[in-house]
Amino acid sequence: MKKIPLFLACLLMVQFSFAQYDSTKVYKKRVLESAEIDFMFSYYSQDGNNAAVSGGTGTEELTDAVPTIVIAVPLNEDDVFTIDAAVSAYTSASSSNVNPFDGTVAADPFQATSGASGADTWVNVNVGYSHSSDDRNKVWSAKASIASEYDYFSAGIGGTYTRLFNKKNTELTANANVFIDSWTTIYPSELRPFSDNRNSQGVTALYNKNIAGARYSPTFETFTNKGRNSYSVGLNFIQILSKRMQGALLVDLVYQQGLLSTPFQRVYFSDVDSSFIENFRLADDIERLPNSRFKTALGGRLNYYVNEHIVLKTYYRFYNDDWGVSSHTASIDVPIKIGGGFTLYPGFRYYNQSAATYFAPYAQHLSVSEFYTSDFDLSKYNATQYSFGLSYTDVFTKKHIWKFGLKSIDLKYSYYERNTGLQASLISFGVKFVLDKKVQDLLENSSD
Amino acid sequence: MKKAIILLGVIITCLSSCTVVKGYERVNLNDPDMELSSRKIDRFETNFQGYREAASGANGGKTGGGCGCN
Repeated sequence: MKKIPLFLACLLMVQFSFAQYDSTKVYKKRVLESAEIDFMFSYYSQDGNNAAVSGGTGTEELTDAVPTIVIAVPLNEDDVFTIDAAVSAYTSASSSNVNPFDGTVAADPFQATSGASGADTWVNVNVGYSHSSDDRNKVWSAKASIASEYDYFSAGIGGTYTRLFNKKNTELTANANVFIDSWTTIYPSELRPFSDNRNSQGVTALYNKNIAGARYSPTFETFTNKGRNSYSVGLNFIQILSKRMQGALLVDLVYQQGLLSTPFQRVYFSDVDSSFIENFRLADDIERLPNSRFKTALGGRLNYYVNEHIVLKTYYRFYNDDWGVSSHTASIDVPIKIGGGFTLYPGFRYYNQSAATYFAPYAQHLSVSEFYTSDFDLSKYNATQYSFGLSYTDVFTKKHIWKFGLKSIDLKYSYYERNTGLQASLISFGVKFVLDKKVQDLLENSSD
Repeated sequence: MKKAIILLGVIITCLSSCTVVKGYERVNLNDPDMELSSRKIDRFETNFQGYREAASGANGGKTGGGCGCN
């Protein structure tokens, strides 16, 4: 509990640093009445038989646990500061096969090894600041983020500008984001000795293993460019259509350049004789993809208030990129209020995509091609997702934990299935607390 | 793609000329479930879909960087 006063002290410091004394201050409805804290947690698991790390075959088993905290603090009537931090701890059978020979069991693409490469932690922190105009018809916001994991680092900045007009019936938002990312390139273990700077000891060590099939001597070039930059601009148009219906149109344009291949994903060629250690086929090369990609997404949302118990929420998106992928996404969610502050959230989502030009399944690429991948995330497939959620909301925040009132609790389960065989489940949990108004006022008065 | 953008412009123009709903008439529209943005709890879904699917965007976007390569 000692951490809670410490947290309040932090809130106070933030508010001191932003507060400006104004003797002519007039009452305005606050953008955010009181500080809010969201604690969330998700657990994701998947399995399938088309792992990209073993060239489109092998286990895709993966689990990922993500605790997240989001804090929103009103700095005054107009400004809100947010901090959003998440830690993702994942274990992946497929990434353990970056080096399939470091475990105690025989190397096999359908078997995870006990080596060190099968687990990692991803840390992500976003900070954001938003300012609303006095008439609440203009909103500026800016955000910055960093994300880090063992072989990848990402730094991003972004901003949005929202304008409401037509008596707040119409809303237009423009946004722009830049992510500057960098790789620490990790290659499949058997290819490392054959990289540009040939390591004769490594080759000897590899040859000391019992290699079956053809003599293994791949020509392997490492990547020189290890950066990946992403630039996106977007436009959101929201319109109230009637007393019961409102909709949105969304456009996003994304340009990526740099290392867009994943360095540890293997590719096997149909015109190269295969070599094995134990049950694991040794890589002919790694995924090689163009160093730029342009993506376009057009989406629409339409929500209809049926009655005091039921709302219909629909979504559609068309996506296209210059790697040959085009896709359609459609979803429907039907929140059903069942009384006592409880709402049910059944939902269904359908997704399909065409294959990227550079995709072919296991061992079907030709070695003379310039670009190739066997990552089934870039294959042709369709996917369905069923979800069910339960939410409890207490608008009066009657239940308390110390100085915080409980605003809502959310629980959701989703099941996702591709026609390629991949299956995934996701359980998400979230609880929102609101700082007591009295404490909030005390903090405000202190900062004035 | 040009046709789609022109069509989008036409739709936006038509929609913004709809009947104006006054503030006091928005009881139903102000229901939290009528929000056009995703719920906070849905961020995890959006993240894994962004990793597993080639398509992304026009849905609120990713909340942080990462290669999504596992």
